[in-house]
Amino acid sequence: MSVAKRGLWWGLGALLLIAVGWWGWQRFRPYAFHGTVLQSAEPAPDFTLMSADGPVSLSDFRGKIVLLYFGYTFCPDVCPTTLFEVQKTMELLGEDADQVQLIMISVDPLRDTPERLKEYVQYFHPSFIGVTGSEDEIAQVATQYGIYYQKHEGTPATGYLVDHTATITVVDKKGYVKLIFPYGTPAEDMAADLKYLIEH
Amino acid sequence: MTHRKIWIGLVLAALALLMTACQKAQGPKIEILDAWGRPSPKVATAGAFYMKIRNSGTEDDALIGADSDACGSVELHESFKTPEGAMGMRPVKGGKIVIPAGETVELKMGGLHIMCIDKKVDFTPGTKVKLVLHFEKSGDIPLEIEIRQPMKK
Repeated sequence: MSVAKRGLWWGLGALLLIAVGWWGWQRFRPYAFHGTVLQSAEPAPDFTLMSADGPVSLSDFRGKIVLLYFGYTFCPDVCPTTLFEVQKTMELLGEDADQVQLIMISVDPLRDTPERLKEYVQYFHPSFIGVTGSEDEIAQVATQYGIYYQKHEGTPATGYLVDHTATITVVDKKGYVKLIFPYGTPAEDMAADLKYLIEH
Repeated sequence: MTHRKIWIGLVLAALALLMTACQKAQGPKIEILDAWGRPSPKVATAGAFYMKIRNSGTEDDALIGADSDACGSVELHESFKTPEGAMGMRPVKGGKIVIPAGETVELKMGGLHIMCIDKKVDFTPGTKVKLVLHFEKSGDIPLEIEIRQPMKK
């Protein structure tokens, strides 16, 4: 075998190795989540709050992926921006969308009635659920999920406004808090993460 | 009349023209671009408008308010991140949004916005809403804003 021919074989061999390595890395590398991953030792705290169609508990949705979002219907900018992004996420998920349940929990229990919440969330997606409760119940659930909210004075026209943590908490099929989507997470990123959680 | 007098007259006239032209070019020059309103359910009492405001003039101006027959009242608000890491909303500082000379200020989701409180009409996509912007120096600018879904980033 001439030197040139031997060199050619070595070169081809090296290329093959690189190709196999690349394929293996793409195939078997761990999935990198877009959201912030949480390792929960305990299942997510259960709660029961009121929707327009009766009481709703987190445990009702075991086996599905639950997205918890704390917000209020008077919120004209941040909440619709997030809910619209989840609406797009549901569209991206296609048939898998029925494996995902969004629950919006009101941080304004004095003004948000279950009926108001229902009309509000269903505007974004027919499957979305809105729940509320007494001020104490809401405070308890928010604290359990590390959600901050604080009323502050608005203007005569707006009435009070509520600052609130605008993240989405993702509870996996087994009922553990798995991910946090920060405010502004694009639908494509949320859909990719949720698809992974549905399939694994 | 001598030729010289005609020449002086012409030069003076030209100067006068030039000065008025210069005066016109001074001050703010406001343009509104890509205005849109966010669709919202009937039950949501508040709606929001977004747009870009360009000032290609030589002087700062400020958006000081707005009015619309479609809203009980209109306020200038901004969403912001609180020290606790939560999202909050508040009326803009000083009650106005300054549009510096030569700059474009964007009112966008999660930031500055014009808030329509007590909506009188449904903000469904395709609806057109009349809105009059009030500027400190440029006065009133009437707009017709279409309600539509947010564009992809």
